[in-house]
Amino acid sequence: MSITINIWINEERYAKLQKAGLADMAEEVLAGLKVIKVPCTEEQKDKVLKVFPTAKYDSATTKSIELLPREVKDKIFDLVVEKQSIDIMDEFLKNY
Amino acid sequence: MTYIGHGGKEIVERVLEPEKAAEAIKGLTPVPIRGQIAREIIDIAYGFFTPLEGFMTRADVEGVCNEMKLANGILWPIPIVFDISTEEINEKGIKEGDKLLLTYQDKPMAILEVEEIFTYDKQEMALKVYGTTEDKHPGVARTYSYKDKFIGGKITLVNPPKINPPFDEFFFTPKQMRQKFAEKGWQRIVAHQTRNVPHTGHEWLMKGAWLSAHGELPVEKTVTGVLVNAIIGEKRKGDYIDEAIVLCHDVLRKAGYFREDVHMTSITLWDMRYAGPKEAVFHAILRSNLGLTHHMFGRDHAGVGTYYDPYDAHRIFDQIPEDALNIKPVRVLAWWYCPVCGEVTYSGLCGHKEQSQNFSGTLIRSIIQDGVKPPRLIFRPEVFDLIMECAEKYGFGSAFVTDKYLKERNPVFTLRDMKY
Repeated sequence: MSITINIWINEERYAKLQKAGLADMAEEVLAGLKVIKVPCTEEQKDKVLKVFPTAKYDSATTKSIELLPREVKDKIFDLVVEKQSIDIMDEFLKNY
Repeated sequence: MTYIGHGGKEIVERVLEPEKAAEAIKGLTPVPIRGQIAREIIDIAYGFFTPLEGFMTRADVEGVCNEMKLANGILWPIPIVFDISTEEINEKGIKEGDKLLLTYQDKPMAILEVEEIFTYDKQEMALKVYGTTEDKHPGVARTYSYKDKFIGGKITLVNPPKINPPFDEFFFTPKQMRQKFAEKGWQRIVAHQTRNVPHTGHEWLMKGAWLSAHGELPVEKTVTGVLVNAIIGEKRKGDYIDEAIVLCHDVLRKAGYFREDVHMTSITLWDMRYAGPKEAVFHAILRSNLGLTHHMFGRDHAGVGTYYDPYDAHRIFDQIPEDALNIKPVRVLAWWYCPVCGEVTYSGLCGHKEQSQNFSGTLIRSIIQDGVKPPRLIFRPEVFDLIMECAEKYGFGSAFVTDKYLKERNPVFTLRDMKY
């Protein structure tokens, strides 16, 4: 199971995805809730946790980085849309 | 009405009336205490911890660590200790037989009768209670942070706490709680222990537990209830704020997901030890003192990390003689969302394991953090809206504990000014 950052898709984010022709990028979980799972390497995970001290890595159940500030998630989401790819963490972390 | 608590012992309230209290504290040596001890004093004084009437002596701690029993042979799994440094003992000349005035936030709170001053190997205490000596375990870390000596002896509350809104309407002493149950006509009451805002997985856990507890009783009249008992204690960054936990549970009933006559929300002051199975036994004792008859235990009750098997907290009850505990455990598996069934369903009944989608508290927190409203099958809209309201009203814009919340939140309780 790879490490991910879950970007949950609300109506606003879904509209952006649709506009970019990326609606299929979102997976459905929990009764139709949409999510984009942005993959992270071990090194990227460590850097994220260092740069954003409120974040936590849930190693026990979800293997995902949680509790990132919403504005950080917005930035990651915008980069996904811009690059039309979920493999954006190197690019994202360049700024930190 | 009789008030018999754990171990068949009468629930004793060790609380002095104001006039007697003012007289009793005159000339006593003041000893400041921290939040954990203050919360435990309230628990002891009102009988939440029956049969304890004070902090444990060495014989009690030894019994608890080695045999999960107090010195008098009554089942008890977690040490309740008053720690103090040798320096403070020397500086204040504290000796056995003294009475100390415990102060909290510079106000008198309780009298501690110094029955015994003792030491205890903290590493041994940690190993026996938590099964590990790793300080990554929060209960172990708490044990290691205790000062080097302990005082055992009875507690008397001299300044009853004022429970502040919004918690005031959810705080009931064991005697008050039993009176509430009598008013409601509940014969069986099942506890739902929580530190979380409820998603529908929790809601169904409670509903399933209600059905289990109700069993063979008649259905024409409501005689079985669910008591949500939220644990309010030391918070860690990233936890849900206390106000959201309590109010969101209560809104499940107010919004009709539970009938008015079957559901009630309450709080208990306690700093979680994350002792897994041992803490499950402790929770059972606590709720039996509150007058409950059943206690629901789900997956990984009071666990942390991978220190305990997810169902250790079920299996520990197999080792406890029936007459040692006056409450029945209701053991449940998780509820999950099944896209084939198209509903939240019990994992012990649903045959679509491959397709099932597990509720994860962490995932739900992550969704809320993103400000995304989950589907109502997963999270009730009234609960979501109330979380957002609580974030603004109590959490400085966050539904989760932040540094600012830790520093500036409204205290759960305060003490009145009192001369000493």
